[in-house]
Order: sequence, then C-alpha cells, then structure tokens
Amino acid sequence: MDFVILSLVLLAIGVYGLLTKRHLLKVFVSVELIATAATLNFVMLAASTGVGVGEAFLVLAFSTDTAVSAVILALLIVVNKKYGVSDIGELGKVKESTEEESEVEA
Amino acid sequence: MILEVLSAGLVITACLAIFLDEAVYSVVALAGTFLFAALLYAESGAIIVGVFQFAVGAGTLAILFLSGEMLSERTLKKTTTKNLVMVVIAGALLSLLPIFLSIFTPEVSTSGVSFGEALWNLRAGDVVLQGLVIMTVAMGVAIILHEKRNGGK
Repeated sequence: MDFVILSLVLLAIGVYGLLTKRHLLKVFVSVELIATAATLNFVMLAASTGVGVGEAFLVLAFSTDTAVSAVILALLIVVNKKYGVSDIGELGKVKESTEEESEVEA
Repeated sequence: MILEVLSAGLVITACLAIFLDEAVYSVVALAGTFLFAALLYAESGAIIVGVFQFAVGAGTLAILFLSGEMLSERTLKKTTTKNLVMVVIAGALLSLLPIFLSIFTPEVSTSGVSFGEALWNLRAGDVVLQGLVIMTVAMGVAIILHEKRNGGK
C-alpha cells in the first residue's frame, strides 16, 4: 500500500474537478479534495516514520486549511448574493457587464 | 486489508464528490471522503490527527450543507444509475493503483519525539500564532459578509 500514490490519485481527481467543473460549490469541493490529498501525504508519512513532529504540524495545518475554506465559502456566498450566479463562466460575464456599465456612466 | 478497503472508499467517494450532478449529493460524498480519511489516519496510528480531521470535517460539512442549498440551482439534469455505476467502477479502478504500485518506502525512525512533545515543547509558539490566524480569519469573514444598513449605502 503506497500512500504517496493514493494522495497523487486524490490530487489528480481534485485538479480534474478544478479544471472541468464550472459550479462554484464543485470548485470548492475540488479545492477540499486537493487539501485532503496534501494532508494525507503528510500524515501517512509522519505516521509511518513514527515522527511526532509531522503530526503536530498537521494539526496546525488543519486550522489553516479550515480558515482558507471559510474565506472561500464567504466569498462564494457574497458573489451568489450580489450577482445571483453560481457558475464561474457567468461570473466572468458579470464582470464584463459591470465594466461596460461603469464606462457608460463615465 | 482494512487500509486497502479504506483507501478504496476514499477514492470512490472523492470521484462521486466531483461527478455527482446535484450539489447536495456532492457534499454528502465529500462527507464520506472526510470520514474515510479520518479512519485511514486512525488506522495508521495517527489517532489524534484522525479525530481532528473528523471534527474539522464535521464543521466544514455543516456549513456546506447550509450554503449548498443556496448555491445550488434546481436542474433537470440528474445523475443516472448507469453514470453512477460507471463513476464507482472508475473510482475502484483508480484505488487499485496505490494497492499494487509502490514508489516510496519510508524508514521507521525509533528516535522520533512523541506528538505531545512535538506540539507543546517544539511548536508551542506556532500554536499561539495559530490562534491569532483563526481570530484574523474570523474577522475577515465577518467583514466580507458584513452588510451595510440603510439600503446598502
């Protein structure tokens, strides 16, 4: 059982989702999967070598990961409330139309 | 054998989280991914990290369930049973890779410090700074979600 390959497989699934899915929540899920892949690699390496420093770093890294997730989710909620979109492609169009409106006003 | 089953479950639920069409089902699959990851950590000897992963995952998923309904749109397109089976088979095939391939064999260290020693004797400053990071993030999220009164002016 090779955990480096397992984390590589998880990373590949996450990157695939990040590149192909357009829904904001799916993008968030892909980011979570990539974070899980990185965490898995770190934890299993620390656990298999018997060094406690790796696990201690991981507990600290978890809180940073959660903080990043909280900020991403807050931004998604704001975007959804302000522009009513849940698709990254639509978000680009909203940006373009907002720029055009500001140019017309100017 | 248990590790192989847990890793297969991890990969299959990760595939389902990406490929299921409805956002709420995707979040349910992500919950499975977090659960399998926590069990994998606990089974490998990192019990504290497993418990931590479980707690952090539970919090993240609670927020995702609440916001998932708001962010997802009602679509007519739903995952068919055929597609679901295909995704599960693809996940099972992908999970065979870590079972049969090997690129790295770690050397077990006998002189390593324990988890408690490492956290409190070596990284105690980081633990305090981490508290500051979490406070800063909480303030940042509050500022992002802040709505001005009086018609948004």
